[in-house]
Amino acid sequence: MMNTAVAARALSLSLRYAEPPSFTSFEIGMLALVIVASAVGFFWRFSSVLRNIFSAKRDPDFHLSPIAKRVWDFFWEVLCQAKVIRERPLPGIAHAFVFWGFLAFALVSLNHFAAGFRLGFLDADGWVGGFYFWFAAVFALLVAVSIAGLFVRRFFVRPIWLGRKISYESGFIAFLIFGLMATYLAAFLVPATSATARGLWWAHALCILIFLPLIPHTKHLHLVLSPITIFLSRGEFSRIPPLAGDEDFGLVTGKDVTQLVALQAYSCVECGRCTEHCPASTTGKELNPKQIILGMRSYLNDLGPHSDEPLLGKYNSQDAAFQCTTCGACEFQCPVGIEHLPIIIGLRRGAVNTGTYEDDHGTKLFLALERSGNALGMSASERDKFIKKQELPIFDGSQEYCLWLGCMGAYDPQGREIIASFAKVMSYLGTSFGVLKKEKCTGDPVRRLGNDLVFQQLAEQNLEIMKQQKVTKIVTICPHCVRTIAKDWRDFGASPEVEHHSEFMARYQDKLPKTADGPEIVYHDPCYLGRYRGSYDQPREVLALSGRVIEPPRTRERSFCCGAGGGLAFLGEETGNERVSHNRARELAATGAAIVGAACPFCNTMLRDALAATSETPPQLLDIAQIAAQSIANQSIANQAAQPHPAS
Amino acid sequence: MKIIVAIKQVPVRDSSLHIDSNGRWIDEEDLSYEINEPDAYALEAALQLKEKHGGEVVALLAGPARGAQTIREALAKGADRAIHIECDDLATLDTLGIASRLAAAIKEEAADLILTGLQSDDLGLGQTGVVLAELLGIPHATIIMHVEVGSGSIQVKRELEDGWFQNVDMPLPALLTIQSGISKLRYATLMGIKKAKTKEVRRIAAADLPGAAAATITLDRVYLPEKKKETQMLEGTPKEAAAKLADKLKFEVRVI
Repeated sequence: MMNTAVAARALSLSLRYAEPPSFTSFEIGMLALVIVASAVGFFWRFSSVLRNIFSAKRDPDFHLSPIAKRVWDFFWEVLCQAKVIRERPLPGIAHAFVFWGFLAFALVSLNHFAAGFRLGFLDADGWVGGFYFWFAAVFALLVAVSIAGLFVRRFFVRPIWLGRKISYESGFIAFLIFGLMATYLAAFLVPATSATARGLWWAHALCILIFLPLIPHTKHLHLVLSPITIFLSRGEFSRIPPLAGDEDFGLVTGKDVTQLVALQAYSCVECGRCTEHCPASTTGKELNPKQIILGMRSYLNDLGPHSDEPLLGKYNSQDAAFQCTTCGACEFQCPVGIEHLPIIIGLRRGAVNTGTYEDDHGTKLFLALERSGNALGMSASERDKFIKKQELPIFDGSQEYCLWLGCMGAYDPQGREIIASFAKVMSYLGTSFGVLKKEKCTGDPVRRLGNDLVFQQLAEQNLEIMKQQKVTKIVTICPHCVRTIAKDWRDFGASPEVEHHSEFMARYQDKLPKTADGPEIVYHDPCYLGRYRGSYDQPREVLALSGRVIEPPRTRERSFCCGAGGGLAFLGEETGNERVSHNRARELAATGAAIVGAACPFCNTMLRDALAATSETPPQLLDIAQIAAQSIANQSIANQAAQPHPAS
Repeated sequence: MKIIVAIKQVPVRDSSLHIDSNGRWIDEEDLSYEINEPDAYALEAALQLKEKHGGEVVALLAGPARGAQTIREALAKGADRAIHIECDDLATLDTLGIASRLAAAIKEEAADLILTGLQSDDLGLGQTGVVLAELLGIPHATIIMHVEVGSGSIQVKRELEDGWFQNVDMPLPALLTIQSGISKLRYATLMGIKKAKTKEVRRIAAADLPGAAAATITLDRVYLPEKKKETQMLEGTPKEAAAKLADKLKFEVRVI
């Protein structure tokens, strides 16, 4: 015991960080020269980036408050690296070690250069310095192992979403970082006065000084910018900024690029998480969200934020922009705070609001919404007939809830079934509700496709109806309606409280019947309920009343889109090598569940066709309201059977 | 080339209509209005001709103040300016009366081409364009599918019955009534609406125009189609019944 303690002490005494005790004037001169050259190299390149960001148009709706949320996001996503780790645990941890290592190393690096000017403040023999050098050494070891691992992943394992182009520069930078750590650690093994220690000291200094000017024009710019980008987010998921003034039509030319867009474009670390989770990219379409951001960056590098050149054209493709389902997987996944949706929707706004978007299906949708006020282009009298047939009560202000039908609920045969089922559930619970005599599309498809004219008309018309009818609480079966009413209408006035039927039913789950041995139900998270609204548990709680909920491989915040969002349900046949809905349907069917539980009428219609097309014996597809209504019906049959028969 | 497009504002298709108290017209309260569909294609044709050959497109509308909305949409889609004949008495005029107002308002414009839809979705008389041409003393052609502009003349394609077409060479100026559905309509854009705000709309009070010709036709009564329910039993074997059914659907009901 004694011997090991002594040995350990001896080892720690001999293993201490070795720094050359003194530097010649020539060395100091050389060091100053290299530092100046490195700094000039850095700022020369970085200044054009800064100029492009600062001289861009100001974001009209940006507010720094609430600051507490920003501080928390910064702490959680930057300092704790929570998003980086959670979404890709192994490379995420490796990245986090490199990041934390850099933080721990900041003091060591500062001391390193200070020492070169005879101003070193960490003494390897002192208590504080001795501890800190060892502390940093632990991180140096972690960084070295991590960066080597990341190097192997990037250059040998090479996941496809990193792109086909191999960046030798990032290989060189990985080598520099490894060198930085190796030279630091090696300095523990040599005497301070040796020539090797001096060599290591210089090699260490040069690693940093060569790295510095490489930062601004490589993806390593995220070191500098992404903490700021995360801090200066738009504040909420898929926040579409209001148009400012009569000359703002969205992202048309460089002049429309705002500071946040520019900052985000320069922050991209090219990790490809957005590509990996993008339904369009996954099914072989042209759209790659990473490319949208890099296209924006190339535009800014080549032309700057004052150019009249269109943003869609050479740098980004219009076709790609209109392949986005606005599922938001990219924005949700992005570890550096890029908000893809305001950018992609901004590009679409630019094209649609100025009339450069010409597409037969798109035009048909716009005209249908202009004329008949519903996305399916049906006559409003069809809605009246459905309401009459189902004997749905008309909202007159006396009921608690306004049941919003939405286009799918009012006109689509499957959507109507969902409404009918949910009406049964509400009646069973004894909740008073009514449907509006007149209801227009919330404007969701045109909002996401960038037609601000039609969206504004629909939002204003609906808000007027809300005011006239004194609606205070809305419940609906469509997550797209929920999102649009809750968030998008507010540009034109205060909208009523709105709730999705899954949230409503989850609140009343204690009053709904429970089935003991229900079937296996695989739940498909709709994008607009999950990522957009954070309602992951409520629909599962409702389903758990009627069966055993099982999860598909891509679930909750990683759920895979059905392909209908962003107005794409109305844009005709998809390109690429498969339909988005088929990709998802296969995954859901492969779980072997008897029932696919959906919670969105758009998902429902997409998956119905896709399940039939991709599976010989497809599972049954039902909305959570239909499942709940079935349980209620089963219970009442059971109750009747249980009642004693009248004496015969 | 100066093109005038005469457009009409009609109740939105599929509106639920109610007859007004004196039984001569529909109750206009609670109705929404839009551009008459064939007129939308006339406007589209005018805009396409302008894009191809240059010139000016002027929208012309007679109707009450609510017509301003339809004018704004025409300007948003690309018309350069508009003339609005403000009047509340459309229901009391016949085609000659309305055409004489239109003619008086545009006489001085001396347009090269006047386009309008072949008929209106509400009254469906199909005469306004033709009478207007007569009043202006210019040639006209109806049910136009396609327009080609030559030097000083145009070649148009008319739709005849039963899949037949007629190609006609016409001098300019001329008036054409455009068939519905001949092209793809464009959608109104935010930029178009913003630009429309700055475009000229000349408002002419009907009283300032020479008195409209007295109506030679008066509207007696407006009524909704009366629903009749009639059941016919088709006898025979399924095969015979099916043949009879197909026959009836084809020649009596004319739905297949």
